[in-house]
Amino acid sequence: MAEFRLLRRSRATAIVPERSVAGRTLVLLVAIMTFLFGVTLGGVVLVQKSAIAWSSDVGREVTIQIRPMEGEVMESNLRTAVALALATPGVTAARALSLEESQGLLEPWLGSGVDFSAIAIPRLVVVEIDDPSEADIEKLERDLSAVAGATLDTHAAWRQQLNLMAGTIVVSGLLVLALIVVATVLAIIFATRGTMASNREIVDVLHFIGASNSFIAGEFQGRFLAIGFRGGMVGGIAAVLFFSAVGAAAGGVVPDEASAQLGFLFGRFSLGLDGILGIAAVVPVIAAVTAITSRLTVRRFLTQTS
Amino acid sequence: MIEFDTVGLRYGHGPEILRDLSFKIEPGSFHFLTGPSGSGKTSLLKLLLLSLKPSRGRVKMFGQDVTDLDQDSLLRMRRHIGIVFQEFRLLDHLTTYENVALPLRVLGRPESAYRANVTELLEWVGLGERMDALPALLSGGEKQRAAIARAVIGRPDILLADEPTGNVDPELSLRLVTLFAELNKMGTTIILATHELPLLDNFKYPRMVLRDGGLSFHG
Repeated sequence: MAEFRLLRRSRATAIVPERSVAGRTLVLLVAIMTFLFGVTLGGVVLVQKSAIAWSSDVGREVTIQIRPMEGEVMESNLRTAVALALATPGVTAARALSLEESQGLLEPWLGSGVDFSAIAIPRLVVVEIDDPSEADIEKLERDLSAVAGATLDTHAAWRQQLNLMAGTIVVSGLLVLALIVVATVLAIIFATRGTMASNREIVDVLHFIGASNSFIAGEFQGRFLAIGFRGGMVGGIAAVLFFSAVGAAAGGVVPDEASAQLGFLFGRFSLGLDGILGIAAVVPVIAAVTAITSRLTVRRFLTQTS
Repeated sequence: MIEFDTVGLRYGHGPEILRDLSFKIEPGSFHFLTGPSGSGKTSLLKLLLLSLKPSRGRVKMFGQDVTDLDQDSLLRMRRHIGIVFQEFRLLDHLTTYENVALPLRVLGRPESAYRANVTELLEWVGLGERMDALPALLSGGEKQRAAIARAVIGRPDILLADEPTGNVDPELSLRLVTLFAELNKMGTTIILATHELPLLDNFKYPRMVLRDGGLSFHG
């Protein structure tokens, strides 16, 4: 009879009972923190990806502006500028905007129906570069000094401003992530202390029968690791669903043309595989933070009470 | 095995509740520890269990001065000492079997290594049929026998018992002390604290009597 009972005893009961740990509340708290962490991380990833894409697009194009000068023939200067650009290493294409295209660029500011024939307007040459790091922009700038009224705009100031703005958002996001981790750690410390206080009898008995502090801490850590993992999974999945839902909603609400423009300006509201992997990586990190924090708190509690 | 040299104990800045205790306990001996309530029996047992440090004096256990030992060393030494409490202190969510096996489990031993020993011990203390019962379903006597089994499963050299018969009837008290006597015959040094003087008359073991913070030996 005794042998039969022992055979069916498949798994030892946990020394720290599950119900004695503030389980559900802590799972919910960890889930919320993971969700906030995931959403912030996803936002940072989106901004960074968009900024890199903008900067890359803008960097692959420079503009030559030729101001009208007395005694100069604009069309001739345009041809010279295009030829100089095409002769520059790294340049793949160069095209002068037609008079109509140039006037079209001014329409948003001056309105349509303006007679431009009486105004001498600057003309632009759009220069496309294959690899900005290999293009000899300095040579082009030197060569253009031979063309009266020609200046080169590399959009450097605009790119610098863009990078500064994106960098500020990314740093702010990282700061928020750090604050979320700190808040999570503090919440776990309080929860662990509460759990230790309510399990004081178990801790005392374990001490009396010769359990080491590291064994006791391990028993509590196991409980908190499970809680951290469960909460992390819930929060992480919620964050991925949030981005999917917002992406789908943005696509449905904004008209197609506007959506395309918004996509060009702000990037698609899609995390991509790397973003999803980033959020997935948050789950074990949060679980580990939960387990390590509880272990350190338990060790501290045991050292103080021993 | 146990040697106290002018040991004193006070809690915080309070009065000294144990004063100038000097005695030796030989291996394999059995002592009753008696004295009126509040005389310091539990405090003396805590000193012997190494869960308290004396305010003054020296304590030697197993030939080693324990007064200045670090926590890990104290812990290792405590594994040679078993303890039985008046209020049993079994873990309510563990079965009788799991409670008794706990001292071996915390040492990291696999269950297969101790299953037979725990079962045999439970049979020996008469709990063979109650192995899967939770403490809430055990009688007072069964709980105390489970607590005794838990205290001796690790084969301690010293077994301390703090009023182990306090929550059971006189007949069972006699049987429990007889159980301690049998353990003593197997070589375990036993110090059993009790204030039930009529119970002691059934046994011829020496008595350590605590009174007004001092200790005297009788018998």
